[in-house]
Amino acid sequence: MLKYFGGASVLALCLASASFAHDTHNHDHEHAEKHDHDHGDVTLYRIFVGDHEAGKVTAFDLTEPDHRWSFDTTGQVKLYPVAGGAAVAAVQSDNDQVDFITSGISFRDHGDHADIEIADPAAAEKSLQGPRPFHVVSHGGKVSINYDKGGYAELLDEHELSHGHVETTRFDQARAHHGFVTPMGEYTLSTVASDAQVTGDESVPRLGLQAFDADGKAQGDLAACTAIHGEAFSGAYLAAGCKEGVLTATPEENGVAFKLLPYPADFPKDVTTGTILGSKSVQMFLGNHGADGLVVIDPVDEPQMRRISLPFRRVDFALDPAKAADAYVLTEDGQLHRIDMLDGKIEASAKITAPYSMDGHWNDPRPRIAVAGDEVVVTDPNAGVVRRIATKDLSEIGTVKVEGKPYNIAVTGGSGVVH
Amino acid sequence: MKRWLICTALALTPTWAGAASLDVIASFSILGDMAQQVGGDRIVLRTLVGPDADAHIYEPRPADAMALARADVVLTNGLEFEGFMDRLIAASDTDATIVVATDGADTLEDPNGGHYHFIDGKAIFHAGAHDPHAWQSIANAQVYVANIADAFCAADADGCDTYRANANAYTAELTKLDNEVRQMVADLPADHRTGVVPHNAYRYFTKAYGIEFLSPQGISTESEASAADVAGLIRDIRAKNARAIFSENIADNRMIEQIASEADLEVAGVLYSDALSPLDGPAPNYVDLMRHNAQTITQALSAK
Repeated sequence: MLKYFGGASVLALCLASASFAHDTHNHDHEHAEKHDHDHGDVTLYRIFVGDHEAGKVTAFDLTEPDHRWSFDTTGQVKLYPVAGGAAVAAVQSDNDQVDFITSGISFRDHGDHADIEIADPAAAEKSLQGPRPFHVVSHGGKVSINYDKGGYAELLDEHELSHGHVETTRFDQARAHHGFVTPMGEYTLSTVASDAQVTGDESVPRLGLQAFDADGKAQGDLAACTAIHGEAFSGAYLAAGCKEGVLTATPEENGVAFKLLPYPADFPKDVTTGTILGSKSVQMFLGNHGADGLVVIDPVDEPQMRRISLPFRRVDFALDPAKAADAYVLTEDGQLHRIDMLDGKIEASAKITAPYSMDGHWNDPRPRIAVAGDEVVVTDPNAGVVRRIATKDLSEIGTVKVEGKPYNIAVTGGSGVVH
Repeated sequence: MKRWLICTALALTPTWAGAASLDVIASFSILGDMAQQVGGDRIVLRTLVGPDADAHIYEPRPADAMALARADVVLTNGLEFEGFMDRLIAASDTDATIVVATDGADTLEDPNGGHYHFIDGKAIFHAGAHDPHAWQSIANAQVYVANIADAFCAADADGCDTYRANANAYTAELTKLDNEVRQMVADLPADHRTGVVPHNAYRYFTKAYGIEFLSPQGISTESEASAADVAGLIRDIRAKNARAIFSENIADNRMIEQIASEADLEVAGVLYSDALSPLDGPAPNYVDLMRHNAQTITQALSAK
């Protein structure tokens, strides 16, 4: 549960610096002047970091980390930028809650340029509660949150969310399971679970993906995708990992076209893709493939899957939203690798953290990475810092100390014009 | 990063070594045709957005980025027509010369002329967003051709005489085409010069040749018409005596069919606004496209 100050129905906002706490308006003004934000080109990335142990999110401006804010949450969070980075979803799966924080950075597209508007981050007016919220999908102007033990998903309007307004509609599934829901054109796609009996902590088997109309009626056949997990959009396609390969879905006249891309015969056997990221610049995906591999997925052209072997097991990976060819992966030896997705190769590597073994629990404190402009930001839980790594040569630009064990991370912001 | 391995492999391919010297990318089919007219067999051309496809909403593929990486010249329309182009160029890390074909053309601003910013209670107007469909004026197409020839000459000096000769011949053909279109329009009665199109892509045609067009959509096929827009359009059709309604090869024409029904007009034919037709269609190249559009428009508007 989020803490409430003075009875106000808002998330507690704890400004780290007293000079910020007295007068937010003045803070904005000083901030703008200091950065020459009153006019001209402005680049600002704001980093949100969830603690591994405490229920807390720390936000700070990348190049001036003394501008920082702290938000109390109920439990450990996974952070997702939504609404084009205007807000961040803080999903607390173990505590049955989702909070939203407006990032304070928003863009207005004018075709030839985008205007950037900058304010302090703020907690949204209300939270969502439900049984084990997990996967979050942001697409088509909606954010959907799947409740793994509830048998439903809640969908929010991104525009409203960007202003801190949390209003939901509900999509009911036939059976609760660890899945996802997302709009696609005029339809809603949902993972579908089997009705097989399970015992204890055993997962409900997932069969595949299906399109549903506005009334929740199934449209067309179930697209088989055993143990479907991990979903991302790129261009006109959604991709999701399955035991048999990668399932793609794209809108077509009067429905949704599904296609299963089987794992190529020369790929290692008995390993699958379960996490997928979608490029924002070029229509392609990057997924995991086993513990020590990545796979570049092209939903249209051959070769549709190219595997990249890693020297050690993968800790985390991220795409560069601006440079579509570039992706970054951290391996358990502490090395960060820059991947050229078009060549399907590791292009550069550098050691940036102490080793973090992938043995142990999946949720042990290990680094997480994200890209912020020309930097890769890396949480280093054991060192209590966020490392700033230059994308150009993977050198360390600096570190930002974050109290506790910095763990999950999300980046908002970018470049725009202030008039 | 240049992909030298691929470049070397292409250079050593015997069938390519004799004639083609330039690896050229054109962003969309109309520009691709112009590039082929100028480059002839000295270029190897790849067109990203092909016939009957809409560049406004194209999603670039990894193969496009790889093609850009090995290209010598990349031809774009500019004026924010290819929303994907900047990110594709960034993704490819190409060393190619990027040519904006509309440089120096007589361009039009966006119908809204730009946008306002409200600062300290004052409205400040920012002009600068342009209508990208400049090829709908044949005089502008001649500027495209000149820019293409200049770019090819800069990239392949040995072929410059060929490029200039091809460009001159093509420009002369375009001049004849321009006169042909003007004559078709001149033969129309003065009160028969308004039509209806699915998207507002013909403002350069209007400026050059004097045919007015009403449309239910904005400048891009990405923007959808509202019910109020449609109702207003029906009123305009009647008020301005619009005599014909046209569908388009790249647009969803359900809206135009609904408007035709409500305005008691028949859909008079298909126009090719932003893309060529396939080879077996009526507009497989730019000259045929402009001739087909002009004939379709003037024949429909001349009907009593």
